Amino acid sequence: MENILTDLAEIMEVEKVAESDKLTEFDCWDSLTALSIIAFADENYKVTLSNKELLEVETIGGLIELIKTKKG
Amino acid sequence: MTERYNPLCLAGKNILVTGAASGIGKATSLLLSKLGANLLLIDLNEIELNATIDKCSSNVIGLVLDITKSEVLKEKISRVVAEFGKLNGITHLAGKPSIVPLKTMSQKICTDIFQINTYPAIELSRIFINRNIFAGGSGSIVLISSVYGLVGSSANVAYATSKAALHGVTKSLAIELAPKNIRVNCIAPGFIKTEMMSENKKLFNDDYMNSLSSLHPLGLGEPDDVAYAIAFLLSDVSKWITGSILSVDGGFTAQ
Repeated sequence: MENILTDLAEIMEVEKVAESDKLTEFDCWDSLTALSIIAFADENYKVTLSNKELLEVETIGGLIELIKTKKG
Repeated sequence: MTERYNPLCLAGKNILVTGAASGIGKATSLLLSKLGANLLLIDLNEIELNATIDKCSSNVIGLVLDITKSEVLKEKISRVVAEFGKLNGITHLAGKPSIVPLKTMSQKICTDIFQINTYPAIELSRIFINRNIFAGGSGSIVLISSVYGLVGSSANVAYATSKAALHGVTKSLAIELAPKNIRVNCIAPGFIKTEMMSENKKLFNDDYMNSLSSLHPLGLGEPDDVAYAIAFLLSDVSKWITGSILSVDGGFTAQ
């Protein structure tokens, strides 16, 4: 998962992201970006995230933890 | 007592159905069986396929098969058809959704969705016209696309292109196969209350899911709504219809 911060930065349309960044505070944050993250997790880590789970995650770090946990 | 006239009667017809274990495929299998068709049902899910077969009332045979494996498709279908009897029609219902925004789209994602939604339609049609498979007389191929093969929506580029491609397949094969008296048509369903839709619910918020219903003037569809249209296009009642894309969408694309 070493490239996950770079990949998430691309999805969030910024140069780089930090684990403390809040998902909802990115300028591009909308339902399509949420879907992009769900598709990204599925395609790259074979992890299925629900919209509900994603909304409960507050930060980039929380998102990474969620993916790690579900990946097992 | 004289038998009641049923223009959709499929007695004596041998029909192949893919995706028969669930959703529209299951509803279609049960309806075609009620209409008297002999069925060759294909699905990957053996347990659910057997459950469908148990509910059918006509002569039915099941084939557990991954339709994306084109290298074995012809051999396996040929073997079953040799026992079952040559086919009069096929309908390809197996498919899967793909909700991926452009940001995370890749050629691999597109290829994967075409592998199940699109390429098998071409391969099954190719197999169907083989002289050892097609029963002769009149034949019918019914493909299933989507309203999203006709209109746009976000996060749908792979799914939409895989389904819109079926419209090209339908029209091209309709011309190519007309001399063989094989008709080729496609149904473009709106949102149907199926297991596939339940899966999609996990991806969206409640507001979006509620808005889907309002996009259909007649409300969301039932699997049977599509099954009846498939039966119509497989039956001889539709003998002068080929190359058509039939919207079965509760008015979704009428707006």
